[in-house]
Amino acid sequence: MPRPVWSGTISFGLVAIPVKLFNAVNRKSVSFNQLDERTMSRIRYRKVSDDTGDEVPDEHIIKGYEVSKGRYVVVDPDELEPFIPAATRTVDLEEFVELSEIDPVYFESAYHVAPDANPKPYVLLARAMEEAGKVGIARFVMRNKQHTAAIRAENGRLMTSTLAYADEVVSPEAIDELDGLDEVDVSAKEVKMAQSLVASLSDSFEPHKYHDDYREQVLDLIAKKAAGEEFEVPEPSDEKPKIVDLMAALEASVNAAKTARKRHPAAGKRSAAKARKSA
Amino acid sequence: MTTEVDGRRLTLSNLDKVLYPSGFTKGEVIDYHARIAPVYVPHLRSRALTFRRFPDGTDGPGFFEKRCPTHRPEWVPVALGPGDRRGGIEYCCVEETAALVWAGNMAAVEIHAPMALAADLDTPRAVVFDFDPGPHTDISTCCEIALGVRDILAAVELEGWCKTSGSKGLQLYVPLNSPGVTHAKAAEFALAAGQVLEKQQPQRVTTVMAKARRPGKIFVDWSQNAHHKTTIAPYSLRARPDPTVSTPVSWDEVEACAEGEVELRFEAADVLERVEELGDLFAPVLDTSQRLPG
Repeated sequence: MPRPVWSGTISFGLVAIPVKLFNAVNRKSVSFNQLDERTMSRIRYRKVSDDTGDEVPDEHIIKGYEVSKGRYVVVDPDELEPFIPAATRTVDLEEFVELSEIDPVYFESAYHVAPDANPKPYVLLARAMEEAGKVGIARFVMRNKQHTAAIRAENGRLMTSTLAYADEVVSPEAIDELDGLDEVDVSAKEVKMAQSLVASLSDSFEPHKYHDDYREQVLDLIAKKAAGEEFEVPEPSDEKPKIVDLMAALEASVNAAKTARKRHPAAGKRSAAKARKSA
Repeated sequence: MTTEVDGRRLTLSNLDKVLYPSGFTKGEVIDYHARIAPVYVPHLRSRALTFRRFPDGTDGPGFFEKRCPTHRPEWVPVALGPGDRRGGIEYCCVEETAALVWAGNMAAVEIHAPMALAADLDTPRAVVFDFDPGPHTDISTCCEIALGVRDILAAVELEGWCKTSGSKGLQLYVPLNSPGVTHAKAAEFALAAGQVLEKQQPQRVTTVMAKARRPGKIFVDWSQNAHHKTTIAPYSLRARPDPTVSTPVSWDEVEACAEGEVELRFEAADVLERVEELGDLFAPVLDTSQRLPG
């Protein structure tokens, strides 16, 4: 049974609604442990000094912020203490907005919001929000971090997603490859064609159609190995690959490509591209 | 197909896949990389490179790849380069022929290189002038403007070398290979030279990005000197309908092109022939030491 990751109250005007948060998404990547192949013992990380290579005990490890190359400002945990947000255990609903106003780039982690104890105020809030079609913007502290979150109601239940801060969002202007797109000429006809392609591929979103094939294959492999079954490693990587001479292989491939072009004169139309045209 | 290049084991795939609309295949891209490597690798070595890959062909979407793929062979080194929000990015380095063959197999048709070496990201090794032709202009107009820049360089006792962009434009590199220069200084110098030409020929030259695509104008792109920018590497293939190459050219050729006598457009096969005959016309860019005025 899923365990709550946070509990507290949604405070909304004079009403306080006790709630618990549950992860709405479980990440399912496969994680491996590192092992020493000779002894199968686990590999551990040690904290060592960059200078001496010796292990540094925890009591000697402090925090430093690199202000310029090789120059550190040392910060004591006590100095940070006043800035750590107090774990207030309240979600302060500050305002209500339209869901469509929030750019999807802001959404981070999703949580189910469940009532803790008396469900009535929870149900009331969920209904009211659902009927108004609005999303609540709230602030709360979880694991020592101040979060902004969007709370939405759906089918009589509340969900929340933490939101990125505006100054964490990378503006498209910061990406060179996105420069100059406005100056690209496209004809109305080309747009029409692209639109008809989009229309022909339009469908409703069915998330269950998409799978992490890699994870499923890896888990399958592990399951078979654990059960002691022989697992046939699919290509690539035969035991001993035949080493082919690169230049010979390329020559054959290049000749084949040239012959193919001769057979299709339309595809093989290429200018001689000589530097001296008629000098 | 598994092969060995200088003792490096590589698995190549789909050599017959057509990557260019003209019919040029992945095998031919790899073949070009393997043959051009002796002159190409020195211009890539020790730099944090950006690959532009076209696994579905040069008329497909393609993508820029800054972060070196984790599936790289262990002998392809990476270097920390300009990063993003999460910190530095590890870029691929191409130090040998085998790495170019590997890149070709990934359909990394275009290789873009920064002006600085990875070990010293703050010091550009050259100033680059990127001449970008607007509508109704072509490489011949770029050559005329490049000759104008050459005159300005001569006045401050600097020498430069040209290469085609392999697309429509031309680039002029002024090697520095000396300590103390910054990206800001390099950009400032390129902008100043561009502005002199802009004053002389306001109808034909602009240094303002927003006016870059104006008919009849050449945009002298000085901003390519910024630390996070990369420029198409000399001898890199371009993702065009034909396998054209960013090709080093002599000043004689630049003059002839400005006069309209020759067209500076070279495909992979032409470039291999030229290198056989002329060697690396861009070699001086790697070792000529010069200082910017001021």
